[in-house]
Parts: sequence; structure tokens; C-alpha cells
Amino acid sequence: MFPYQALRRQQLMTTINNNNSQEKIVIETHIEHHHQASARDWKRYFSFSTDHKVIGIQYLVTSFFFFLVGGIFAMIIRGELITPESDLVDRTFYNGMFTMHGTIMLFLWTFPSLVGLANYLVPLMIGARDMAFPRLNAAAFWMVPVVGILVMASFFVPSGSAQAGWWSYPPVSLQNPSGDLISGQFLWILAVAISGVSSIMGAVNFVTTIVKMRAPGMTFFRMPAFVWTVFSAQIIQLFGLPALTAGAVMLLFDLTVGTSFFDPAKGGNAVLFQHFFWFYSHPAVYVIILPIFGIFSEIFPVYSRKPLFGYKVVAISSLIIAGVSGLVWVHHMYASGTPGWMRMVFMLSTMCVSVPTGIKVFAWVGTIWGGKLRLNTPMLFALGALIMFVFAGITGIMLSAVPIDIHVNNTYFVVGHFHYVLYGTVTMGMYAALYHWFPKMTGRMYYEGLGQLHFWLAFIGTNLNFLPMHPLGLQGMLRRVSSYDPQYTFWNVIASLGGFLLGMSTLPFILNMVSSWIQGQAAGDNPWRAIGLEWLTTSPPDIENFEEIPLVISEPYGYGKSEPLTANGHVKSE
Amino acid sequence: MDSSLTSEKLDHLEHHLSQEHEHDEQANSMFGFIVFLLSESIIFLSFFAGYIIYKTTTVDWLPTGVSGLEIKEPAINTVILVSSSFVIYVAEQFLERHKLWGFRLFLLVTMAMGTYFLVGQGIEWHGLKFGFTSGVFEGMFYLLTGFHGLHVFTGILLQGIMLGRSFIPGNYDTGHFGIMATSLFWHFVDVIWIILFVLLYLWQ
Amino acid sequence: MKKRRILLLMITAIALSLISLWIGQLSYGWLPPQGTTEAILIDNLFTFLVSLGSFIFLGVTGVVIYFVMFNRVAKYDWSDGPAIEGNVTLEIIWTVIPILLVFWIAGYSYQIYQQMGIQGGHHHSHQSIDIETVKTVDKPFETIEVIAKQWAWIFHYPESNITSTELHLPIDQRVHLALRSQDVLHGFYIPAFRVKQDMIPQETIALEFTPIRQGNYQLTDSQFSGTYFATMTANVVVQSKEDYETWLKKAAKQTPFLADNQAFSEYNQQSQKMIKTGWPSIKPAQPPLVNYQ
Ligand code: HEA
Ligand code: HEA
Ligand code: CUA
Ligand SMILES: [Cu+2]
Repeated sequence: MFPYQALRRQQLMTTINNNNSQEKIVIETHIEHHHQASARDWKRYFSFSTDHKVIGIQYLVTSFFFFLVGGIFAMIIRGELITPESDLVDRTFYNGMFTMHGTIMLFLWTFPSLVGLANYLVPLMIGARDMAFPRLNAAAFWMVPVVGILVMASFFVPSGSAQAGWWSYPPVSLQNPSGDLISGQFLWILAVAISGVSSIMGAVNFVTTIVKMRAPGMTFFRMPAFVWTVFSAQIIQLFGLPALTAGAVMLLFDLTVGTSFFDPAKGGNAVLFQHFFWFYSHPAVYVIILPIFGIFSEIFPVYSRKPLFGYKVVAISSLIIAGVSGLVWVHHMYASGTPGWMRMVFMLSTMCVSVPTGIKVFAWVGTIWGGKLRLNTPMLFALGALIMFVFAGITGIMLSAVPIDIHVNNTYFVVGHFHYVLYGTVTMGMYAALYHWFPKMTGRMYYEGLGQLHFWLAFIGTNLNFLPMHPLGLQGMLRRVSSYDPQYTFWNVIASLGGFLLGMSTLPFILNMVSSWIQGQAAGDNPWRAIGLEWLTTSPPDIENFEEIPLVISEPYGYGKSEPLTANGHVKSE
Repeated sequence: MDSSLTSEKLDHLEHHLSQEHEHDEQANSMFGFIVFLLSESIIFLSFFAGYIIYKTTTVDWLPTGVSGLEIKEPAINTVILVSSSFVIYVAEQFLERHKLWGFRLFLLVTMAMGTYFLVGQGIEWHGLKFGFTSGVFEGMFYLLTGFHGLHVFTGILLQGIMLGRSFIPGNYDTGHFGIMATSLFWHFVDVIWIILFVLLYLWQ
Repeated sequence: MKKRRILLLMITAIALSLISLWIGQLSYGWLPPQGTTEAILIDNLFTFLVSLGSFIFLGVTGVVIYFVMFNRVAKYDWSDGPAIEGNVTLEIIWTVIPILLVFWIAGYSYQIYQQMGIQGGHHHSHQSIDIETVKTVDKPFETIEVIAKQWAWIFHYPESNITSTELHLPIDQRVHLALRSQDVLHGFYIPAFRVKQDMIPQETIALEFTPIRQGNYQLTDSQFSGTYFATMTANVVVQSKEDYETWLKKAAKQTPFLADNQAFSEYNQQSQKMIKTGWPSIKPAQPPLVNYQ
């Protein structure tokens, strides 16, 4: 008899004897193993599967597709802006382009891709067989393509796509020159609302899974930092998203039946919509960044071969960031006609976010400090993303200072700030994660050379593309313009060329992923010699993740401590 | 200690565990449902916040020719809806003691009271001099009562499903999640109504 | 050994501070000319933030780059690094210092904001202009009405009853503007002045600043206002008191005429873009009747 079997019997005994509910939940061992003929064929990725790993990959692939779509829109934007005149596309189309670029990148790239990654990893990392509600999980995923179809359909209605920016501020968003009910704006609101429903379903699932489904011994302070960040991010979704939904419902009524909630001409209050919108959409940026912080916290220890510095504080600071993020939304509205006291209060609260964030940044630096660094693709992406994040955070602090923001609000300085986070940090961090867990997801190794090429193209491209936006904004170039004063030409040309380079950088990535998935070298279960439950099982993991539910006996980052993570050792199947 | 466990005993234990497992699923569902309701309440809170901001900043708040909302019928409606929360609680108690007919009766009474509320709401809407699109107050009034009414309707629907399912043999073997959730939802709808009543009718 | 490390650390810190201060000084050059007293205040704050930001950025990236250069392992070396899990003193230090920095930055920004006194946020909803209530040290000066609509700027000088598409301002005088929008949100922004304020339909918003540099500047719409948003610019002329008075007199004598308007003419023209979609747009408002353009 294998030692772990004996152990398991003991587990069963103690559970039944002390009737400990916490443990009970965890020993759900699915006795009747219905091994569905370990079907590894590609078809299941196109079917209604309830396996969190399949769903995770479905999310990742779908969202990456939309990333390319949003990226092509960005190429059109950069194409128009390479000359000062409005000469490439109609002005209405340009406005549609940045609106849809922003919408797609946020609602169809960052959100779903991170949900996909979390879907794949969270149950593995906490030692569960699946998410708490597998069918809900699948339903939430299948809403994403629906959102995508609605968004794309808006290009084919006579009114054209939504053109009021991704904020859709009324009254501009209520102007409907085509007069059609099914306008681009209408489809936009519908898409955002459905994406919201999908996110809420996901959030309920994640929170329940993390609270209720952890393996025995996996206390809160033994959870990997990534799980902490997902937990914090999903709590933001639960309490922030409904505000956007409320605003969207009212906007929809204004647009379609002619109520007057946000229409000043009819006695409504246009600024109230901005409050609804940012009450969610500011925290939303932390929904996006928190899992990326989690990815950093996973990757730096592995490739520095040191424990995560100050793990507990890093874990708690995620929750603090989530909490503070609900109290800062007015920093997007300093110029909207908010009174002076409000500007000052929100300036202070916004700046406070830098404290828990700084704690994390310093902890990562502390992790690298004196470590044994291995600079392969995931580590390169994580390091590059970290550096660009610090840069973006500092421009963020500048923006939060009211006098500065009065000058640069709605200029390219802001666009520069948020692309450093959204591309430089989030998208680069996402790449880091994809390379790092690719061997786990597919059982195969990616090509290191292509990965490094991808990194350098992306890193140089990002800086060429987005750094020039800062001087442009400081000089006063506004965002959302399809033509501009010729004095701004120089930096715009650089930015456009950088943008095209950035577009090119995706090609080695796609080539790498596709070819290594088909014919890459077998990776083995734990090619990085990393510590973590997901690395104890097979690559790719079996349908039920673990043969035996692991019994966790130590903290998550035991590098240099020769302490086993679980009592039942290798919990892999086969 | 290990040796005292024959494989037969272990089989038995494992069988037991697979039932425990269903209990856990029910517990998870309940937990998830509570999380969902917390999130749902934020939509209402957002609407309430919007209402308060509009009311305190709009110059011409009430429509011309309207001095305020009639309060008598809505007050009766409120009493009915709030007491139905106790009725569904009684229904739950009957189920706990596995008295199915008592449970069904009181569930039916709850449904009737909910329906009474909805009909009353409909009559009030019908008698009003203003419509959804007339102005901000009017819009907020219909939005709030309408959105709440939709929840009442959903609640009644859920109760109907629970009533129907009570006739399926063995329905309660794995737990009472369905009825617990339905009842919780009903209390939620009630609490929301109380806030709504205060905001719309008492604060004029 | 320990002394040497402390010395090294101090030298690095001093070098870093000097470099950061230098970058801060450079940052004046990244901004447009300083057209108002407010611009000077804002630029000082910006320089301060750039210096502080450079220090933090260079500090963090410096350490990262140091270890990337000197702490790499050989390909087959899988040994672990030192198992350092944390350091309470260090963690307290890097929590407390940012807290202090935050209060410093916020306090300084607050001070600058108070000194600017640009109004802006104050609403004067549903009333005609009551700017008289605004306390000013300078001798009172007529309030210029700024009207924005899709997609044109109109400036109205009530005392001389002049309407213009160009904003003329006297130098060294506190300017009072009353911002109003006729349709959607617009934004009043002059980069060289560093002032920006959204304009909300049905509301009159007050804005103040003091131009201190003669010349021509550009006013742009800073809040997205629909199809021809990008075309919504206007000239701003800051001139001496005398020139300003002469301009007022000259403009008052002109009989009103229809101004040119780019949005209006583009709308009435065939699209000449490489890619045409022909999506419908809101029709631009009639070009305004003005005394001066
Ligand atoms: C993932 C996305 C993300 C993230 C993480 C952030 C992070 C931050 N953002 Fe950003 N932001 C956006 C995405 C993001 N932002 C987007 C999309 C917009 C524009 C939306 C639109 O208009 O379309 C925007 C716009 C935006 C504005 C509005 C600008 C305007 O429209 O005029 C402001 C203003 O305050 C702001 C501030 C901040 C701040 C203070 C942080 C902080 O969280 C940063 C904190 C981090 C650090 C400070 C660095 C690390 C800390 C240290 C090393 C410690 C020491 C540092 C100090 C003491 C300063 N952001
Ligand atoms: C995660 C979010 C995200 C990401 C990843 C990006 C990525 C990019 N963004 Fe993004 N952007 C936003 C979110 C994002 N953006 C938001 C929220 C707004 C605000 C919208 C608003 O104002 O309402 C915005 C606005 C915005 C503007 C301002 C428009 C305006 O105000 O007028 C610009 C301008 O340059 C821009 C450029 C780019 C570029 C060049 C990229 C590149 O990184 C894209 C690179 C990727 C690809 C190109 C895809 C791969 C391409 C191929 C496979 C084909 C190869 C093609 C060629 C080489 C031609 N974006
Ligand atoms: Cu379990 Cu009733
Ligand atoms: Cu924000």
C-alpha cells in the first residue's frame, strides 16, 4: 500500500469522527471515477465543456482573438494619426475605431483573458477538482462570444458602431443621427450589460470556489498569492459592476424610450452617469491589474529561486487595494465640474493606492534581491512589465494631483499612462503567464528563441509606441482627435511606427504557440522545478486534476527550505 | 487503527462521503447565492443613490399638477408584502418538520400575497397622471417600482417552482437549498421594498 | 565591511537625487510656454513630481537591472537562493516612507490648487451669470461669456455686445469666464494656460485665470463632443490693455456676419478620405453670427 493511501484512510476516519465541516467539504473525492476516456482531442475546446481547464483555454483563445481585432483597430488609429490631417478614414469611423478599440480591449481582451487564466489555475492551485459551479462557469464563458458578436455586428448596422468613446458619456451617446432603434450605441450598451452578467456569474463562482473548495491544510495564508489577487479582484467585480449595470440600464432607457435621466435638456443630470460609470470602471482597472500582480508574485520566486518576500503582507495588500479602489473614482472627473472639496478628497484617496501597491513592488524587488535569476521568456516579460508598471504608476500619481490633471486630462498623457499599464503591464504580464504555464496547459515546451524575440520586439515596440504620448500630452495634444495641429507630427510618427512594430511582435508569439502546441518537445510535469500544487499533477492535468486531493502542509513558496508542500507527495494520476 | 478498517468498511465510508459531498454542494450553492444577492443589492443601492441625488438637486422635482404620491394603498401593499415574509418562514418551518401539506399551503399563501402586491402596484401605475418619460422623478419612480416588481415576480415564480417540485418524490433527500434560497430571496425583496417605500412615499 | 556598504549606499542615493533633480529641471522644457500665473504654479508642481518620480523609478529599476546583470545562473544550476521570507523592519520602512510621501505630494498639490483659485468646480445651475459673487482682488473686469456648441466656439463680451470666434484677452488682468454649452459636454482648454474645464449643458460654470504673456494661443475642445470634435478649435489672443481696447472698439463697429466653420463645411462636402463608410453624423449647428473672426 502506498503511503498516501494510508494517509487518506486516516483522513477519512478523522473527518467522520470529528465531523469537522471545513475538512468535510474538502474530502469530496468523487469516488466513482468516470474517466471519460481522457479525450485530449481538440474538439472539446469547441464544445460546451464544464471542465474548468477547457473553459480556461476557451476564454484565453477567444479573448486573444479579440485582442487581435482590437489591435487591428489600433493600427487604423495609428495609421490615421501618422499625418496631422484627417485623411485615412471618415471622422465618424475614426470615432468608432477608438470606441471599439477601447471597448474590445477591456471587455473582450483583458477581462476574459484574466478570467480564463484564473479559471485554469485557481482550482489547480487550491487543490480542487473543479470550480464550485461548473455549469455556471460554462454559461458565463459562452456569453463572451455573444458579446463579441454584438460588438462586431454594430459595424454592419446603418448607424455604424458606437462612437462616443468607451465611456459613452451622455449627451453625446444619446445622439442618434440615424434614428434607428438598433443603433451601434444600442448594441454597445447591450454588449456591456451581457458582459457584466457574465462577469458577475464568474465572480460568484470564484469567490465560492476560493472560500469553500480549498484542499485540506490549504488555509488562507497558504494560498498562492495569485489566488489572493483573483479573490480580491472578483470581490471588486461583485460590488462595483452593479453600479455600471444601473447606469447602463438608465442610459438604455434614455436612448430608446426617451426618459430623461442623463439628458440635461430634459432636466436630467449628465454628470451622474459619469459617477455610475467610474464608480465601477475605476475599480475595474484594479480587477485587471490585481491578477497581473498575482502573476508577478508567482513568477519572480520561481525564476529567482527564493520565497516571495513578505508573502503575508503582499497577500493582504491585494485586499487593501480592492478596498481603496472603491473610493477614488472621481479622479477621472476632476475637470467634469466637481467642486473643489471633492477634487481634494479624491486626490488624497487616489494617492493612497500607491502605498499597498508600493509594498508589492518592493516585495518583488526583495524577491529578486540576491536571487538566482533565470532569464527565460516568462521572467523577461515579468521583469519588463514590472519596470513599465513602476513608470505607469508614477505617471498615475502625477495624474492624481489635481493641478497637473487639469492640464493633462483628456490629453495623450493619459493615453500614455494607461497604455503603460494596459499594454506594458497587463498584456506583457499576460504573456509572461502564458509562457510560464504553457507547458502545464499543453504538456509541451514553447520555443525559447521565438519567445525571446517576441519579448524584445514587444518591449521596444511598447516604449516606442507609448512613451512619445507623454510629451504629446504635456504639449497639449488631445485624445480622440482624428486630426491635429502639425506641431505634434514628430512624436506621432514615432508612436505610429512603434505601434506597427508592436503589431508585428504578436506574429512570433502566434507562431510559437501554434507550432509548439502541435509539435513542441514534451515538457514534463514540472519543467521549471516550481513549487505549487499545479506543478504536482500531470501536464496537462487529468480531467479531475488530481488522483488524490492533496493534503497541504506548508506555505506556498518554500524555495531553499526543502520542506514538502503536501503530505501525499505526487498527487498526479497515472 | 489503520488495520481496523477493512476494505468493506472503507467502501461504506466512501459511500457516506459521496452523500456528504452533495451536502457540500448545497452549502456551496447557498454561499454562492448569498454572494449573488449582495451583489444584486448594489444595483438597488445605485438606483437609490441616483434617486437621492436627483431629489436633492432637481429644481422642478414633481411633475406639474402632481403634489405627491398617494400613500394609502401602497401602505396596505407594504403591510401585505412584509407579512408575507413571515408566512414563507412558517412554510419553511413546516418543511423542516417534514409536514409537506402545511408547507405547500403556506407557500401558496405567500404566492397569493405577492400576487396581491403586484396587482396593487399595477393598479397604482394605471391610476397615475404621469408616464415613464415625462421627467426625472417620473422616470425614477417607474424604474424603481418596476425593477422591484420584476424581482417580486421572479420570487413568485421561484415559489411556484418550489411548490411544483415538492410533489416530486425524494426531492428533499439531498437538502433544502431550493426553498432556503427562495425564502432568502423573498426576504431580500421585502427589505428592498421597505427602503423603497421610505424613499418614494414617506420622503416627499 | 558594513561601513563601506553604508557609504556606497549613501553615495548612490546622493547621485540618484542629483540625477532626479536634473531630470526635474529638464521637465520645464517638455511643457508649452507659460501663458498664465497658474501655468507657473502648475509647472513647479510638475517639476517636483518628475524629480520624485525619477528618484523612485531609477531606484527600483536600478536594483532590478543590477540583479539582472550580476545574478544570473548557469543553465543547469537549479540550486535555490537564500530562503529569506521577509524582513519586518524593511517592510515597515517601505510602508511608512510612501505614506509620508503621499501626504507630502497631496499637501503640496493642495497648496498649489488653493493658489490657483481657478473656480471651475462651482456650479451656477439654472441661473444667469452671477459671477459678481466671486471675490476678486483685482479691479473687476467684465465677465466674458464662452459658448460652445457642436462644433463652434463663440465668445460674447456683454458690455460692448461683441460676438467673436476669436478670444481676445488683456494681459496681466484676472480673466473671468462664464462657460456654457448649448448641446453636449464640451471642454475649455488652452494648453499654454494649463487650464481646463468641462462645460455642461444647462449650467454656467465660472473659470478664472491671469494671462501674463502676449501672443497667439490655441483653444481646443477637451471633452469629446461627437463627430467633428477634432475641428473645434479657436484662436486666443493675449494683448496689451491698449490693443485690447482698440480691438473691442473695432469689433463693435463691424456689422455681424456668418463665421466660417470647419465642421459645417466638412459636413456639406463629399468625404475625401481613403476609406469611406458614410456613417451618419449629427448635423453641425449653423455657423454663428459674429462681429469678428
Ligand atoms: C490596469 C490599469 C490601471 C492601473 C493599475 C492604474 C493605476 C493608477 N492610475 Fe490609472 N488609468 C487607467 C488604468 C490604470 N491605472 C486607465 C485605463 C485610465 C483612463 C481611462 C480613460 O480615460 O479612458 C486611467 C486614468 C487615470 C487617471 C485619470 C486621468 C484623466 O483622465 O485625467 C488618474 C488620475 O488620478 C489615474 C491614476 C492612477 C493611479 C494613481 C494609479 C495607481 O494605482 C498607481 C500606483 C503605483 C505606483 C505609484 C507605482 C509603485 C509604487 C511605488 C514604487 C511606491 C512609492 C511611490 C510613491 C509614494 C508615489 N489613472
Ligand atoms: C488592454 C487594453 C489596450 C491595449 C492592449 C491597447 C493596445 C493599443 N492601443 Fe489602445 N486604448 C485602450 C486600451 C488598450 N489599447 C483604451 C481603453 C483606449 C481608450 C478608448 C477611448 O478613448 O474611448 C485606447 C485608446 C488608444 C488610442 C487613442 C485614440 C484616441 O484617443 O484617439 C491609441 C492611439 O494611438 C491607441 C493605440 C494602441 C496601440 C497602437 C495598441 C497596440 O498595443 C496594439 C498592438 C496589437 C496588435 C496590432 C494586434 C496584432 C496585429 C496583427 C496580428 C496584425 C499585424 C498588423 C500590422 C503590423 C499592421 N489606443
Ligand atoms: Cu440535508 Cu436536509
Ligand atoms: Cu482610475
